[in-house]
Amino acid sequence: MPKRILMAKTGLDGHWRGPTIVARALRDAGFEVIMIGMATTAEIVAAAIDEDVDLVGLNVGGHIDVALRAVDAVQSAAPDMPIFAGGTIPPHACKQLQAKGLEVFPPGSMLTDIVDSANRLTGLSAAQ
Amino acid sequence: MRPKDPQDTVQACSDIPLKTYYTAEDIPSSHAQRTNIAPGEAPYHRGFHPSGYRSKPWRIFQLSGFGKPEDENERIKFLLKNGETGFIMEHDRNTADHCYNVDHPEVLARREDVGLTGAVMQSVRDTAICLDGLPMDTSFGHAGGAVVQHAPFALAAYWAVAKKRGYDLSKLAGTGQSDFNLTYLGCVTKQQIPTDAGLRFNGDIIEFCTEHLPRWVPVSIAGYNGADTGLTPDQELGSLFANAVEYLDEIQLRGRIPLEVAARGCGGVSFRASIKIFEEACKMRAARLMWSDLLKQRYNIKDERVANLRIHCVTAGSKMAYQQPMNNLVRGALMAVSAVLGGVQSLGVSGYDEALSIPSEHAHQMSVRIQQILMEETGLTDVTDPLGGSYYVETLTAQLVEKSWAFFEEIQTRGGYLACLDSGWLHAKAEENQHKEFMQTESGEANIVGVTMAHDDSSPFEIDGFIGTDDAFDVALERLKEVKRTRHEKGAKNALKDLERVCRSSDNIMPIMMDCLEAEATLGEVGDVYREVFGDWRTPIQC
Repeated sequence: MPKRILMAKTGLDGHWRGPTIVARALRDAGFEVIMIGMATTAEIVAAAIDEDVDLVGLNVGGHIDVALRAVDAVQSAAPDMPIFAGGTIPPHACKQLQAKGLEVFPPGSMLTDIVDSANRLTGLSAAQ
Repeated sequence: MRPKDPQDTVQACSDIPLKTYYTAEDIPSSHAQRTNIAPGEAPYHRGFHPSGYRSKPWRIFQLSGFGKPEDENERIKFLLKNGETGFIMEHDRNTADHCYNVDHPEVLARREDVGLTGAVMQSVRDTAICLDGLPMDTSFGHAGGAVVQHAPFALAAYWAVAKKRGYDLSKLAGTGQSDFNLTYLGCVTKQQIPTDAGLRFNGDIIEFCTEHLPRWVPVSIAGYNGADTGLTPDQELGSLFANAVEYLDEIQLRGRIPLEVAARGCGGVSFRASIKIFEEACKMRAARLMWSDLLKQRYNIKDERVANLRIHCVTAGSKMAYQQPMNNLVRGALMAVSAVLGGVQSLGVSGYDEALSIPSEHAHQMSVRIQQILMEETGLTDVTDPLGGSYYVETLTAQLVEKSWAFFEEIQTRGGYLACLDSGWLHAKAEENQHKEFMQTESGEANIVGVTMAHDDSSPFEIDGFIGTDDAFDVALERLKEVKRTRHEKGAKNALKDLERVCRSSDNIMPIMMDCLEAEATLGEVGDVYREVFGDWRTPIQC
C-alpha cells in the first residue's frame, strides 16, 4: 500500500503552481496524494482523519496565524500525524512553523528535498 | 546558462531552436518585406508611434494595496509622490475575488488573511476612503476588479465615487481588468460564476463603457497571468488572442455597438516581461503585429487607432527569488529592459521582496526608481524599436508569430478559449511547462543565481518580508455593520432585487450595478445574487 499524503491550502488564494508541482513529484515518487484545495482548519482535520493519511502537507500563502491554527488543530486531533509546509512563507513565519516541529519549504526549495522529507516523515526512510 | 558544447541545441522558451548567429537569409521572406516598415505604421510590430518614447514615455504603473482602504490610499499617495504616473487599486483576495463580505464563514475562518494582499472594499464608502485625495480626473486609474465576477462591482464603485465628486464620466481615463487568465486559469477562486456568465459580464462592461466612458479601457486581457502560470511566450500570445476573439465575437453577435469601438476597448492588454530579454522583446513586437493582422483578416478593421495594440507589462513575479532577494533588483531592471525594448506603453516592476510578501515601501520605491533610471539615464528611450532590423530579432519575431497562430488555431479546434478553460486543457499545458521548467532547474540544466548556484549561507543581507496592518478584518467588520445600519435599507434591497431581475434577463448589468453601489448595497449581497442566479464554475483542476 502506498503511503498517503493530504495536501491542502490554508488560504483563499488559488495560485496552484506550487502545490501542483509538489503533488506531481510526490506521486512520481510513489505516494498517493489527496488534494483538497482551499480548505478551512475544520476541513483539513476532517480530511486528514477520513482519508487516513500518513502525512499532511500545507500550502501556506497567507497570514501565518491561519496556518498555525491548522497545525494546532491537526496536532490536537492526531498527535502523531507528521506535517510539512511550503509556499510563500517569509523567514519569521518559517521559524514559527519549525518551532511546532514542521519541515518547511519556502520558494527555491528542490523537489528532491521535499520527496526526501516525505519519505522520512512517513517512515519510508530513516530520520536524519 | 552556457551549453556544454557551443554547438549543443539551445532553445527559446517557446521551443524554438536558436542558432549561434543569424544572417539576413534567416528572416522568413514573408516577414523580410515588413522589416522596412516604420514604427507607427501597420502592422505596428515596430512600435505604437513613430517617435516612440520621445513623444510619450511609458506609464509607471505599480500594483499596490493592502490592509484598510486608508492604508492602500497612503501607499498609492507614496507611489505617486515617488514618480508613479497612474495608480492601481488592489482588492482583498478573500472578499473581493469571491464577492464575500467579511462575515462570510469562509472569510471568518481566515480572518488574519483579510487585507493581506489588498484593501477590503465592501461598499462605495470603502472605495471613497481608498480614493480620498487621489487625482481621479487627471490620472489614469485602475479600479481593480481583476477577477471577472468582481469587476462590475469594483468598476461601479470607482465610477460612483467619481460621479459623487462631480467628475464627468465621459472624460474619465482608466482601466478595468476582468481577466479570464487570472480567474479561470492562474489563480482560481474557491467559488465563482461560470465562464459563460463571465463572458456576458465582460460584454456588458464593454457596451457600457462605449456609451458612457469612451476613454476607459473596459476589460484588459492579461497574458501575464497565463505566462506566470506556465504558458510559454507563444502560448501566452495565442491564448490572449483566442480570448480577444471570444469578446469580439460576443459583441458582434449582440450587434448593439460598432465592432471597431469594441475592438479599441479590447486593445489594451498586458503581458509578462520575463527574463529572456530578446524573446520577450520579440513577444511585444509579435503581439502588435498579430493584433493588426487579426483585426484586418477576421473582422475587416483597419483603423490605426484600433489596430494599434497598447501594451502594459509586469515583470515576472515567479522569476523573483526568495534567496538573496537583492538580486531581484537586477532581475527587475533587466525584465523591464525587455519590455522597453519591445516598446510597451505601461510598466510595473515586481518588488525585490516578491517571493516573500507584497511590496514593502522600500521595494515599491525601488520598482519606481528602476523605471526612472531606465527612462532618464540609459538612452533606451532615444530611438524607436532599437532592435528593428536585427537578423536575430526579426527572425525570432516572425517565428513567434507563426508558433503563436498555431497555438491560437489549436485552441479554436478545441472549441475556443472558454472551452479550453472549462475542460482544463490550458491548465494541463501550463502544468506541463511548469514541470519541465522545474526539472531543468532540479537537474542542473538551468541555473538560478543564489538558489542553485552562488549560495551564501551566511545571509547577511536577509529581509523578512513586509507585514501590513493587523486591524483590516476588525475595521471591515465594523464598517460593514455601520453601512447596513445607516444606509437607506429599502433602497438597497430594491436595487439588489433589480440586480437579480437583470441578471436573469439579457439586459446590461452595469446600469443596475451603478444603482446598487449608489444605494450602498454591499459586495457580499451582490455576490449572493450571482451565486443564486449563475451557480458555481466547475473548476477543472484540483490544487
